[in-house]
Amino acid sequence: MSDPILSLQHVHKSFGEAHIIRDANLDVIPGERHAVIGPNGAGKSTLFHLCSGQFAPSEGKILLNGKNIAGLKPAEVNRRGLARSFQITNIFPGVTVFENLRLAVMRKHNLQFVFWRSAARLRVVNEEVDDLLTKIRLTDRAQTLASQLSYSEQRSLEIGMTLASDPQVILLDEPMAGMSHEETDYTAGLIREITEGRTLLIVEHDMSVVFSLAHRISVLVYGEIIATGTPEEIRGNARVKEAYLGEEAA
Amino acid sequence: MKYAPLLLLVTVAVLIALPWLVSGSMLNAAVQMLIAALFAMAFGLLCGQAGMLSFGHAAYFGVGAFAAVHAMNAFGGEGLLPTPLLPLVGGATGLVSGLLAGYFSTKRTGVYFAMITLALAELLHALAPHLKTVFGGEAGVSSFRMPAWGIGFGSLNDVYFLTLVWTLLCIGLLYLFSKTPLGRLALGLRENAHRLRFLGYNTHALGTLIFAVSAMFAGIAGALQSMNIEAANYVVLESHISTAVVLNSFIGGVRVFLGPAIGGAVMTFFGHVTSDLTRVWLLYQGIIFVLVMMFLPRGLVGELVERIRNPSGEGFARTLSTLLARLASLAIAAFGAVFLIEFLQRVLSPEYRAGVTDGNWPDIALFSYDWAPLSVLPWAFGLGLFGIGIALVTMVNRRVAARKEAQA
Repeated sequence: MSDPILSLQHVHKSFGEAHIIRDANLDVIPGERHAVIGPNGAGKSTLFHLCSGQFAPSEGKILLNGKNIAGLKPAEVNRRGLARSFQITNIFPGVTVFENLRLAVMRKHNLQFVFWRSAARLRVVNEEVDDLLTKIRLTDRAQTLASQLSYSEQRSLEIGMTLASDPQVILLDEPMAGMSHEETDYTAGLIREITEGRTLLIVEHDMSVVFSLAHRISVLVYGEIIATGTPEEIRGNARVKEAYLGEEAA
Repeated sequence: MKYAPLLLLVTVAVLIALPWLVSGSMLNAAVQMLIAALFAMAFGLLCGQAGMLSFGHAAYFGVGAFAAVHAMNAFGGEGLLPTPLLPLVGGATGLVSGLLAGYFSTKRTGVYFAMITLALAELLHALAPHLKTVFGGEAGVSSFRMPAWGIGFGSLNDVYFLTLVWTLLCIGLLYLFSKTPLGRLALGLRENAHRLRFLGYNTHALGTLIFAVSAMFAGIAGALQSMNIEAANYVVLESHISTAVVLNSFIGGVRVFLGPAIGGAVMTFFGHVTSDLTRVWLLYQGIIFVLVMMFLPRGLVGELVERIRNPSGEGFARTLSTLLARLASLAIAAFGAVFLIEFLQRVLSPEYRAGVTDGNWPDIALFSYDWAPLSVLPWAFGLGLFGIGIALVTMVNRRVAARKEAQA
């Protein structure tokens, strides 16, 4: 087994008296699609917030490529190669799809305080935007306002923006939440395509998606990771059955 | 919008020819309109594009005005800073004060941001009378425009062209700015600063920088103002200047590029015309703002752009006739309302009240007729016209709605 690309070591997070994450240990291997499942309130979103820098852990280490990123700001974590999407669609609603992606791509090229160049003439940036549009299958919608996209299109855009920084590790927080069956299948295919050659950590409630998409699954219950393994191993794990899967696995 | 370049060219041509087309008083108003337009554009960058509503933009307009006056006195319009380049001083001062104020105010967003900008501007306004060497106390600081580059700068025409060149140049620069990566990021800041932060941008630095650029252009507008009147007084720091730029920009349409400029120019023109005709012109300005916000929330230009982008589908002739019908009905209602307001204002004025003796109410002259205030006639006339106008516009609206329904 190669060295983990993302590794959580004895991570603990509490808000006052509430201990949300307790001694979580998780290793994500380069190139795998790793799903985190668990009942509501288990701390999945908190775990994501810790990895992406929105929260700092109370205790423990979070290693990205062997370097501790615990306590770094989201922007710094992003620059080190970890990008995330959000559970709630988090895009720029009042501008076009193209503009949404351009804002995301410009960061990668360190175009922030640049006021002497025309954005329309940034050839590399615009090519990458077109490329992303193709990948997320929104080329036809490039000039549409993001707020006018359908729900699943907005989720695709969200994923496209996550991809823009060309991250090694992608965190997707419930990308299929609120989707119909067709939309879920469509998005699962999209995720499979775009995570080719990258590492994916995904939180998702739809078990059929999780078990078909993920190489490995970790189960989070009350802030603790009680099991990690392949879908078969997880299906067969007694503790998981008891704690979470219950009827579904039977 | 394929006619946009042509329209722009015609507008610029008219602006260049203006001194030969209008009277001196009107040209003077035009100078103020240009300054108001540029000031509103500076505000529009911050509020419309970056989504930060500043209630204290008078501060940057004001420091620009004072900086230019001091520079005028110091350099005498020669050497390093000849008269035509003086607005640069206003811009530089605006930029520096904008960096400072922006650093603190952009640490917060929304209402808190607005409150900080308001507090900073009020702080400066309260401080100004005490700093006599800088702000000149009650009398202010005055100066003279000196000739430079073979131009006298004594005549109104010279001042007009100076203001025109700077205003057009700055609006052009603001347009180009909106196309740069930083200008695009302003939109991101407005739409979703949280997402921008997660993409790895430094939103505080971005906000500060955009604030400073906005303050810089406000400072240039302030410099043009003090060069126009050859003086600056701490009155330019008053909150009503900050309020006016907010109202003007929203009336024009803060989210469309030239909206604030048109709003600033139109409302300044409106003020110029009506302040000679009536004492309650500020009331009219307020009513216009409320009506625009209620019925044309995108602003005048914003609504126009929207109509052009998404035509009603009824064809040009139909749309035009509907528009004319609406305008005609509204004009009737407006005349009725103006009549009532003016009549009421005259009845309530202290001069008139002093003339009322023993229940004898003299007639009031309004629109070249004498009206008896105790008679029902003037009130019925005003209310009636207002009612007829509103009824007509309602009728037009119903017809449009019925046609739409029939289509659907």
